[in-house]
Amino acid sequence: MPSGETDAQSRSGASSVRYEEATKQYPGTAEPAVDRLTLEVPAGEICVLVGPSGCGKTTAMRMVNRTVEISSGDVLIGERSVRDREPAQLRREIGYVIQQVGLFPHRTITENIGAVPQLLGWKKDRIRERSAELLELIGLDPELGDRYPAQLSGGQQQRVGVARALAADPLVMLMDEPFGAIDPINRERLQNEFLRLQAEIRKTVLFVTHDIDEAIKLGDRVAVLREGGRVEQYATPAELLMAPATEFVEDFVGADRALKRLALMRVGDINLWEAPLAHVGQATAEVRAKLAAPDVEVPYPLLVDGERRPLGWLSERDLSADVVPSRPDSPLGPVLERDDVMRDALADLLQGQSQYAPVVDREGRIAGVLSVEIISEFLASPEAKSEEQPAAERPHG
Amino acid sequence: MGSPLLLAAAGEVGGDFFRERSSGTLPCQANEAHLFCWDWARENLDRYGTPTVQHLEIVLISVLVGFAIAFALALIAHRTRWLQPPLLTATGVLYTIPSIAFFFLLLPVTGFGRDTAIIVLSAYTLQIIYRNTMLGLNNVPDSAKDAARGMGFTERQVLWKVELPLAVPEIIAGLRVATASTIAIATLVVLISAGGLGTEMYGSNFNFPTAIIIAAAIIGLMVLAFDLLFLTAQRLMTPWRKARPT
Amino acid sequence: MPLASFSGAIEFIFSSQESNVTGGKEVGGFDKSLELLIGHIEVTVLALAIALIVALPLGLYLGHIGKGELFAVGIGNAGRAIPELAVIALVATLIGIGMRNVAPALAVLGIAPILVNTYVGVRQVDSAVVDAARGMGMSEMKIIRKVELPLAIPTVMGGIRGAAIVVVATATIAPLAGVETLGDFILNRNVYGENGLLAGAILVALLALTIEGLLALLQRRLTSDGLKLKTV
Repeated sequence: MPSGETDAQSRSGASSVRYEEATKQYPGTAEPAVDRLTLEVPAGEICVLVGPSGCGKTTAMRMVNRTVEISSGDVLIGERSVRDREPAQLRREIGYVIQQVGLFPHRTITENIGAVPQLLGWKKDRIRERSAELLELIGLDPELGDRYPAQLSGGQQQRVGVARALAADPLVMLMDEPFGAIDPINRERLQNEFLRLQAEIRKTVLFVTHDIDEAIKLGDRVAVLREGGRVEQYATPAELLMAPATEFVEDFVGADRALKRLALMRVGDINLWEAPLAHVGQATAEVRAKLAAPDVEVPYPLLVDGERRPLGWLSERDLSADVVPSRPDSPLGPVLERDDVMRDALADLLQGQSQYAPVVDREGRIAGVLSVEIISEFLASPEAKSEEQPAAERPHG
Repeated sequence: MGSPLLLAAAGEVGGDFFRERSSGTLPCQANEAHLFCWDWARENLDRYGTPTVQHLEIVLISVLVGFAIAFALALIAHRTRWLQPPLLTATGVLYTIPSIAFFFLLLPVTGFGRDTAIIVLSAYTLQIIYRNTMLGLNNVPDSAKDAARGMGFTERQVLWKVELPLAVPEIIAGLRVATASTIAIATLVVLISAGGLGTEMYGSNFNFPTAIIIAAAIIGLMVLAFDLLFLTAQRLMTPWRKARPT
Repeated sequence: MPLASFSGAIEFIFSSQESNVTGGKEVGGFDKSLELLIGHIEVTVLALAIALIVALPLGLYLGHIGKGELFAVGIGNAGRAIPELAVIALVATLIGIGMRNVAPALAVLGIAPILVNTYVGVRQVDSAVVDAARGMGMSEMKIIRKVELPLAIPTVMGGIRGAAIVVVATATIAPLAGVETLGDFILNRNVYGENGLLAGAILVALLALTIEGLLALLQRRLTSDGLKLKTV
């Protein structure tokens, strides 16, 4: 039997979700709750529906599994209309995670996870196996399987909720503010774990939230909605931040969208500057020659060891000797890594009060130099439209 | 209302359950000031056998019938909201009418005997069982129901697999109360010739505290026994309630 | 034994008739019915008054301080299981007959539901509200009177209604202990005949329903409007 992870991967299937002029009109109201929504979510992607309270995002999500019936228009999963089947049948193929989780208090964790498989008629052994597999996948001790929900913390319960939704290997996952009721610290952990999970299983996810930061962090694509489920903009997070389509989106995204963008990048994603390198014992004349070169980007030499690991910055005094000393005058200051999140790198730079910071690769070898100037140049330049990475691969700590 | 009239009337209504007290060789007599006569108790304990069995039978049948009806009504009312208030009122009215009156109101229809007793006693249990079942069902967390429906449970599955199991504690609480009251009220069925432990409290025993106290004690034991039974059943059926956060 | 008819019973209540049991003597009639009705109401009201005086303050106090749950609930459960016939019989034999003895006995039966419901009703009051009241400087007595009792009215009244039912029902067999109530008609069939039997049953049922109705109205009046929005 293959290991749990590859099993989940090989078995997982995902379908696209398409809204076609989907409308929900509640009787007795003037305006429809969702007005002719048209949207497509490619298979295997996370689409976040975000917007202010009452904009219809939850209603729109619920139209997919018909917990809200469609008044007119259609919603298709793959190529099949959701109206094709009986609601109960349809829902067994869709993962459903709600904010309050809704675990069954009278069932053990294993039984909770196995709820839909049981409805589908799986054998008991298979259910137990699957439950254990999923518990591991979501990072919980398989021993918890025999406990009752009341014995788990809020964060653990939320994870079980996600596991339960994944149990029958659904084509689509619907998640309605699943992390909303969790404290901020655990929320971040859960978000990161979810992204890790998604990197493995690649489900099509419709995620509803009112938190723009969560939307940007988790979404491959984000749909900003306003009342009536009207789509103001449907784009990747980077596009949303760089080019908000309307004033509404701009307001909703917030004034700090430049900083928000930085949270999506790593240091290694942009072109770094080079500093002239110096080795211990090297003739200072050589170093000064490098400094004098016309195309030098960083006007200070960086002392490195035999392995090209940075040791410190050389000052004028250092260079007044004949050979490069082994102990540089100025300390190294903050050293950044290529994998660091750009936003954190900026914070380090500002904190360290240094203009330049060396950037090293995974082995600690110098890869370039970062400065605040580089960052702001990058933000201003048109090529800043770098290749968008799927949410699962973006930095998330 | 003198004593002779009382005894004569008691004799009439008590029918063939009027019993001769045992011989006067025992020190305890009726109308003699005493509280409890151990001798008599020891000598006459076996005569409580039949009444106790009768009593148990009537109680069990009544509670079962009452439960069946009330439970069905509750399930119907759970689906059809607008039925809830009228059903609550209807079962309430049945509960308000004093059992004695109820027994005798039915006389023209069903006459004396066990059937009338069971009809009235069942009617009495309806309100508490119906109300508790509704309470239990209404206390099921909405999130659990929402999740169940969203996962693909049909309405019927939601009811039987989620709502009812979670409503068990309330339902059993209702059964406990209903059974306790039925056991107590069933002492009155002696008045309609349906037997039971009331026979030991009535008729010739009316002035004889020992007999009454023994009968009352048996009633008390019965109530306790059923209480324990229900409590144990509830513990067994709801293992998740003992679970505490670890 | 001829089965009585309802029409016959109604007639019995209002006009005295020749009884076919005691050979020609006139029984029943409006006056007698009224007399017994009043007797029934008397003993009921007296018993309920005693029960209220004992159980209400106790329940409020225990509920307020939050102690004695086992006691209150235990009494409530035990009270439910007391056979009424035994109570009447024992009172008649050991204590004495007549209103003075029977009313307290009935009161004992009524204490159980009032006590447990008052206790539970007060306990169920949101502790945040009580906290706020205390914080505002209300004395404990004031809190009970102005905060806890009003908020507990629905549950407390439920207990009082339950007590009324029990008392009215047991008062029906009070004739066995020398108190003249409507039960007289029921228990003395040889005197009042079949019609009397049915008449008694009808009157008792009507009385019980009327009292219940009045108490329900009282509850409606006493329940503040804010609470009414919450009730089922």
